[in-house]
Amino acid sequence: MAYAYLFKYIIIGDTGVGKSCLLLQFTDKRFQPVHDLTIGVEFGARMITIDGKQIKLQIWDTAGQESFRSITRSYYRGAAGALLVYDITRRDTFNHLTTWLEDARQHSNSNMVIMLIGNKSDLESRREVKKEEGEAFAREHGLIFMETSAKTASNVEEAFINTAKEIYEKIQEGVFDINNEANGIKIGPQHATTNSTLSGSQGGQQAGGGCC
Amino acid sequence: LIFDDGLGTVALGLNLQLSSNGLQSAESIKSLRGTRESLALTDEGNSFGSDSELNGYTSERQTDKYGFIGGAQQYSEQSAEDIPPEVLRQREAKWLDMLNNWDKWMAKRHKKMKLRCQKGIPPSLRGRAWLYLSGGKVKREQNKGKFEELDRQAGDPKWVDVIEKDLHRQFPFHEMFVARGGHGQQDLYRVLKAYTLHRPEEGYCQAQAPIAAVLLMHMPAEDAFWGLVQICEKYLPGYYSVGLEAIQLDGEILFALLKRVSPLAHRHLKKHKLDPILYMTEWFMCAFSRTLPWASVLRVWDMFLCEGVKIIFRVGLVLLKCMLGSQDKLKTCQGQYETMELLKTIDTRYMLEGFLVREVIIELPLSERDVEKEHLAQLRRWKETRGELHCKSPPRMHGAKAIMAAEPPSRQDLRQNPTIIVESSLATNKNVEGQEEDKARIKTKEQKNGKKTGTPVASNPEPSDISTKPTPPIKDAPLQGSNQSLISTEHDTYL
Repeated sequence: MAYAYLFKYIIIGDTGVGKSCLLLQFTDKRFQPVHDLTIGVEFGARMITIDGKQIKLQIWDTAGQESFRSITRSYYRGAAGALLVYDITRRDTFNHLTTWLEDARQHSNSNMVIMLIGNKSDLESRREVKKEEGEAFAREHGLIFMETSAKTASNVEEAFINTAKEIYEKIQEGVFDINNEANGIKIGPQHATTNSTLSGSQGGQQAGGGCC
Repeated sequence: LIFDDGLGTVALGLNLQLSSNGLQSAESIKSLRGTRESLALTDEGNSFGSDSELNGYTSERQTDKYGFIGGAQQYSEQSAEDIPPEVLRQREAKWLDMLNNWDKWMAKRHKKMKLRCQKGIPPSLRGRAWLYLSGGKVKREQNKGKFEELDRQAGDPKWVDVIEKDLHRQFPFHEMFVARGGHGQQDLYRVLKAYTLHRPEEGYCQAQAPIAAVLLMHMPAEDAFWGLVQICEKYLPGYYSVGLEAIQLDGEILFALLKRVSPLAHRHLKKHKLDPILYMTEWFMCAFSRTLPWASVLRVWDMFLCEGVKIIFRVGLVLLKCMLGSQDKLKTCQGQYETMELLKTIDTRYMLEGFLVREVIIELPLSERDVEKEHLAQLRRWKETRGELHCKSPPRMHGAKAIMAAEPPSRQDLRQNPTIIVESSLATNKNVEGQEEDKARIKTKEQKNGKKTGTPVASNPEPSDISTKPTPPIKDAPLQGSNQSLISTEHDTYL
């Protein structure tokens, strides 16, 4: 399917915070409490529309255990966006954010957009991390912030799409060099055959819009 | 008949249950297939269904012959090939003979043993054979009481927390692990926790859990623990240690070997900057247990535990060669992500038991020396580019023979310890004679004689009832069960 841009995302955070569930909720719109543990990496992809443009999100979901860090580092390469996830019912997953952030900053390109996510917002009664704490952390480190629930799908769409919007704005501002694939952004196939008039017109736009 | 350490009982129970599975109507099998296909469509990679689908299964409790609910482990039944029961019985007799004379077989007839592992270990003896091959049996005997001791100790909360979070995420669609807090998950906890106490400096790595789970599907917790110890320390040393250097190094080794096996695939991966750890981490760390159809997993493990890590390399090379080895195929995956996607959804025909095993044995004669040579070369490169390894792993042992040579067991360590002996051997003998050809019968008798020198312990009325009554339905039950199911092999290579 034709797209104007392709953004590569990576999902990181401690084990068991719900990374794979967020991905599945976003790509398949379903919640699956019983699933295999992620070892190495899993993927998902979905098309979204921003500013009338089709954008393909390519999402890499990683293993959370600390011993996998050395491997996870190689996935940062060429990511335009990162979802850094913690579990609002587990304080320790929030406490580890700093090391995750250090890792992400160190191994990714400097323009990578990072979205901080406090997941499992449906479990209000077991909450250990206040929403304000998440907001404060995000402010302090220049991240976007949201609380989500992969179970109820609350804010899941928004989390992925807002991150894309931020990346898109950066492209418009000329911050990202979109010709360098290492930035995690690819321009869509310009001469792609399209099967709907809508995306057809977008394909045209995008051919002209390559200058940004 | 002698039942060993409760394993025999397990095998018997399985057979009986399977035979009832074997009687499933074509209709119900069809419906199972349907669900499996729809599952595969709804989810990429591991084809597990959604919550509601799972609930559907659990209420029906429809399992495939390996215990997967709804055939959740990729196309298991289609890929497995049946063996006639007479052949299976012969193989079992041969394996019993090997198990009874393990040291002799290892010393003098190892080649033959290797061949038999390649042909597939009979399902009823697989657990015991794996324990012998891995050296876990010897370890267990030499460390009597050790597991119990570890089992009683409290684990480090740092590890216990992570392990507990992972218990329901290991083969969640296998009947043994489907129930929260069920016996499978409990045993998994015990084995993994015991390991963190056994090797506190290593602790727990999430990729150990699938390995332990596969072992638990075939043996009791104590045996699975020693099997895990052997795999972590002898077969794949360093894989689960902090920093995961060993797996990264093996990634480089795999990539270098690929250059020889399929230059085209090698060039493609290089062009798209596909670091080996992007695609081989799960393959190698879980010994393909989460990648292949179940029939193939079992056959790969039969060979892996006999011959060592080269089997894992071979399987990896076969898959890469098949998926990326021709211009045609590469045309469709121009790009890093596309290639990754392709390697996550490997074409089933390349993973089918018959095809895969043939490729691994015949088409890819990669030897231990090849692996070791490349290991040294990559180690040199690693030191030049990244410095010294932080984690010094013990040397890798290439298979059962090397392990046994490194830690020679005493006769006592290899002796099978029957927990149940049924005295009325006459009736059982008759039963056996009626079904088997002469050659096999003689071997069975031999092994029975051998067994008599073992330590008789207790007799259990239940299994004895089953084995001594030659009434057709019961007599046929295990036969039919194993025929219809469990066993997996290439049909053209009977012993």
